[in-house]
Amino acid sequence: MTATSEPEAALGVLPRADGSAKYSHAGYTVTAAVNGPIEAQRKDENPYEAHVDVIVRPAAGVGGTRERHLESILQSSLSHIILIKNFPRSLIQIVLQVEDSPENDYVNTKLVQGNLNFAIMPALFQTAVLALLSAGVPMRATATATAVAVVFHDGVKRTVVDPSPREIEIARSVHVLAFTSHDELLLAESEGDFIVKEWDEVYETAKKICCHSAPADDGMQMALDEEAAAGPDMRHFLRSTMESKVAADLYWK
Amino acid sequence: MPREAEPSLNEKQFVIQALQENLRLDGRELEQYRPLELTLGDQYGVADATLGKTRVLAKASAELTVPYTDRPLDGIFTIATELSPMTSPAFELNRPTETEVLLSRLLEKTVRRSNALDTESLCLIAGQKCWSVRVDVHVLSHDGNLIDAACFAVVSALRHFKKPDTSMEGGVLTVYTAAEREPVPLSWLHSPFCVTWSFYGEQGEIAVLDATWLEEQVRVGSCTISLNRHGEICQISKLGGTPVEAVALLQCSAVSLTKVKEFSTYLDEKLAEDAKRRNKGGLLAELSAENDR
Amino acid sequence: MASTTRPTLLPGDEIPSSLIPSHPTKPLRLGPGLRHLPPSQILPTVSGQLITLPQKSSMWIEYNSSRYIPTQSDLVIGTILRSGPDFYYVLLSPFTPPATLPHLAFEGATKKTRPQLNPGSLVYARVTLANKHMDPEVECVSATTGKADGLGPLTNGGMVFDVSLGFARRLLMAKSKEEGKIEVLELLGGEEGKLSFETAVGRNGKVWIGSEDIKTVVIVGRALKETDEKKLGVEAQRKLVRKLIKEMK
Repeated sequence: MTATSEPEAALGVLPRADGSAKYSHAGYTVTAAVNGPIEAQRKDENPYEAHVDVIVRPAAGVGGTRERHLESILQSSLSHIILIKNFPRSLIQIVLQVEDSPENDYVNTKLVQGNLNFAIMPALFQTAVLALLSAGVPMRATATATAVAVVFHDGVKRTVVDPSPREIEIARSVHVLAFTSHDELLLAESEGDFIVKEWDEVYETAKKICCHSAPADDGMQMALDEEAAAGPDMRHFLRSTMESKVAADLYWK
Repeated sequence: MPREAEPSLNEKQFVIQALQENLRLDGRELEQYRPLELTLGDQYGVADATLGKTRVLAKASAELTVPYTDRPLDGIFTIATELSPMTSPAFELNRPTETEVLLSRLLEKTVRRSNALDTESLCLIAGQKCWSVRVDVHVLSHDGNLIDAACFAVVSALRHFKKPDTSMEGGVLTVYTAAEREPVPLSWLHSPFCVTWSFYGEQGEIAVLDATWLEEQVRVGSCTISLNRHGEICQISKLGGTPVEAVALLQCSAVSLTKVKEFSTYLDEKLAEDAKRRNKGGLLAELSAENDR
Repeated sequence: MASTTRPTLLPGDEIPSSLIPSHPTKPLRLGPGLRHLPPSQILPTVSGQLITLPQKSSMWIEYNSSRYIPTQSDLVIGTILRSGPDFYYVLLSPFTPPATLPHLAFEGATKKTRPQLNPGSLVYARVTLANKHMDPEVECVSATTGKADGLGPLTNGGMVFDVSLGFARRLLMAKSKEEGKIEVLELLGGEEGKLSFETAVGRNGKVWIGSEDIKTVVIVGRALKETDEKKLGVEAQRKLVRKLIKEMK
């Protein structure tokens, strides 16, 4: 069972950007900058809605095909929660800088550079959402994401939340899912071999992590509910992070 | 498409008038740096340097590769700087602007060409295997003086970095993972730092250190001096701009030396702090395969 | 810790119907940060605190940000980018399309006597048109009265400082000291500082400060920026002013 460390976030870390966030969880640290709505370039101008541009930069090396793939997935999912129809012909620019990732072991003396692991996607997604909230970009809902791996160990199948690099290496399949604050499935990407039943279990696990938000005074229930302790409570984390930020901003009231 | 807006006439005139009265917008002295802060990462080779609102992250990494055919006894050392829209929406990827090119060249001249890193020590098997050390510079926030902050971050990252230990026995090269043997630091000869001066006034007679973004927009000339704490100058570049008295430049060099000594001391302190933090329990001494000197 | 009558909300959160004002005659007015989904859903679009005024039948989300989005009737400080045949093009915030300012939208301006403004000049203007489909438009005179009311070019030197949008809004409040909790201006201009200066505040996060003495402008600017960036309360503002006045001597 992976030790689920609690996620950490800091908002407004980049003073010159409209919004920014630094997020770390499960060994991944990502900093995001959001600028917008600003003027879009001619080629990206859309007369009905804003263009969302996502740029992913790995820690070491320059980005490659893998980064472009992650960018396009993030762009389509974030475009769904941002109210892009409010800003035609504009650009919402999101830059994600990877600062730290867990797989830094030297595999056969060759550092795996610029080749981002699929499992970094929830961290990228979450940082982007936090930075958008920090910038005050109008959205229709917030969203939370998580990674789940299906691992076969000694013939026993396990669904692992926030898999470590070692677990990803031996996993049969790895999945990344994101849900909006209205419990809608926003993003579902998978790699590997799996059957539909396995995906359903992954879905249920991810939904619990992303959508389950324990009510504040439900103490006894939480202690008995073992499954709720399987991973971090993403929604609660998001809400408490934003509550601190709003309280700080409105200190004068 | 760089579309950075120029400051208004009021702002430009005001900054110049204030400097003529020895005043800066943030209350600093003309030769005063903003507070320099360095954060070293948990991983070896990650350095985050902040100068006021300017923030630069440098990450050092190494991989085994084949040396260049014309330099079979040397390892490879590259510094990669690419400004992204995170720095400012005015910067686009894959479209180097003047700022980026200058930054890249200055880091090149200061750190690479001055042999701060001994590339011969990176060679493992002549002509066949060597280490390729690479530093990636990410500018997270730009409020002026990228050069000094970036240079400091690069030097910090390289001094903090440790590469895997290796051994050669009978023509067979073994590379140890971090778990087998403690990684070893790079062979570092001297620590160069950049000090950038900005000039103002009709004859460039007002010299200012560590300009903010706004101050950079109104300067009439600038000069970057790179040197180490022993007073050895690695490079001086004054690219165009209003001509400045030679005597003034000499004075600038003298002040630069003082600043570089401060940087050097600060970096040494930070590295020592970091080593202490990691060495809780004195295990490092046991794991290291280095001989006591 | 969050108040139940003024809860902190995230985008898409449901608003408890008990909080939505219902006035017998006045229709409900939605301010910034809220959107209406017909027939009867009201949802927040940003994260912030929900504020309701039952007497005026209005509600909005209170939040702070730094990217200005032009809104009608806002007072703004813009920079002239260039001049066209009939308009000036005025930049209200970086990397956005400029707003148009008609050449004759100044007090008493005719084709022969209109102000000639160079690129880079600052103007204090009011937004006359702002919607998502068109580039914004501004004016430096009131269309109804023909008077400038303080609008127009900011030509006598001075310096403009960037502040967050929430801070600018607090400065523009009628009672910026009591409601906005900003005392630095009063302290610096009053007994403590005895400095003489004038200010113009733009809703787009810009504050212009003018004075004959450069030091004064620098001090007032620093006081405002530090209050904004470090989120200083009234007590801390007083300390800051004392410190700055001392440094000046």
